[in-house]
Amino acid sequence: MKKTILSFFIATISLFAFAQKKTSTSATIAFDASTSIDALPKAENKTAVAAIDPAKNTVQFEASIKNFTFSNPRIQEHFNQEGWLNSDKFPKATFSGVIKDPSSVNFKKDGTYNVTVEGDLSIKGKTNKVTAPATIVVAGNTLKTDATFNIKLVDFGIEGQAINAGKVSAEPKITVSAELN
Amino acid sequence: MLKNPANRKVLKWSLITAGSLLLIGGLVYFYYATRTHDDTATLKPDYTVEAIPFIKEYEKDHQAANKKYAEKIIAVKGIVTATLPADTTINIEMKDTTTGSYLIFAFQEKDMAEAKNLKPGDNIMIKGSCSDGIYSEILGTYFISFKRSTVENNLSYN
Repeated sequence: MKKTILSFFIATISLFAFAQKKTSTSATIAFDASTSIDALPKAENKTAVAAIDPAKNTVQFEASIKNFTFSNPRIQEHFNQEGWLNSDKFPKATFSGVIKDPSSVNFKKDGTYNVTVEGDLSIKGKTNKVTAPATIVVAGNTLKTDATFNIKLVDFGIEGQAINAGKVSAEPKITVSAELN
Repeated sequence: MLKNPANRKVLKWSLITAGSLLLIGGLVYFYYATRTHDDTATLKPDYTVEAIPFIKEYEKDHQAANKKYAEKIIAVKGIVTATLPADTTINIEMKDTTTGSYLIFAFQEKDMAEAKNLKPGDNIMIKGSCSDGIYSEILGTYFISFKRSTVENNLSYN
């Protein structure tokens, strides 16, 4: 009897733990707009906030634009300027979406799951729909997720001579990875 | 070709000027293209602050705080509340446990080994480039991000 109660108690606690929203304050977002002409326009932000809510199948990210780090300080300055990301006026990028095919992931069972995430990506005050394949690894109470997709800069009102000249990719690759607890 | 000595002289000086401009342009481009960030460890901080009052300043008025601190080198004294894996690297967090708002430090590659040795409870000083502080809709708290951070061993800054 005691064993049954204990098992029930553990199972309840486990279910409660899985139902809770998982978050990370150290998600990594890589931005790669390099081209064959210029390898410099790429950056990483390692302090993005991420959340996955297994109960609602939602996925969210937030990142400070100013915390994208380029190896070249000049490019970092340009990236934040008014003509590009205008980070003083639009300090963060956000994503809010859902796992499109919730049956493709079982948050209660350890494993690696391939899913499709769809949602709204907001950069520089403009919001666009994004659909991306993603991987979710369930390991105990921890989730690890990775996703890679491309965006069109023009969709977010980002245009410039460097893009026209082929020095900055018009469709940079965005890679997101996070370990959520 | 150019028999008139005056024309030859003009051509000569035109070529020298064009060559010099090309050389200067090339050097300027090379300077900017190969420039990297200064090592934060060698930079004198613009401000030295205590973690919790610094967070409170952001909570009170984050726009005013950003005007003062964004893109400045800040040395922060405080207690490590978490070490957080960030891809293959590690971030250090200093949190105000009463409100949940926090500082988060991403490190320079050369300082990663030292950052990985830190643990919750360590009372330290970290110096980094303050990106900005923003309100997280996800967490319902403020977070203030630092990049290119280094563990500061010189505790004599005022």
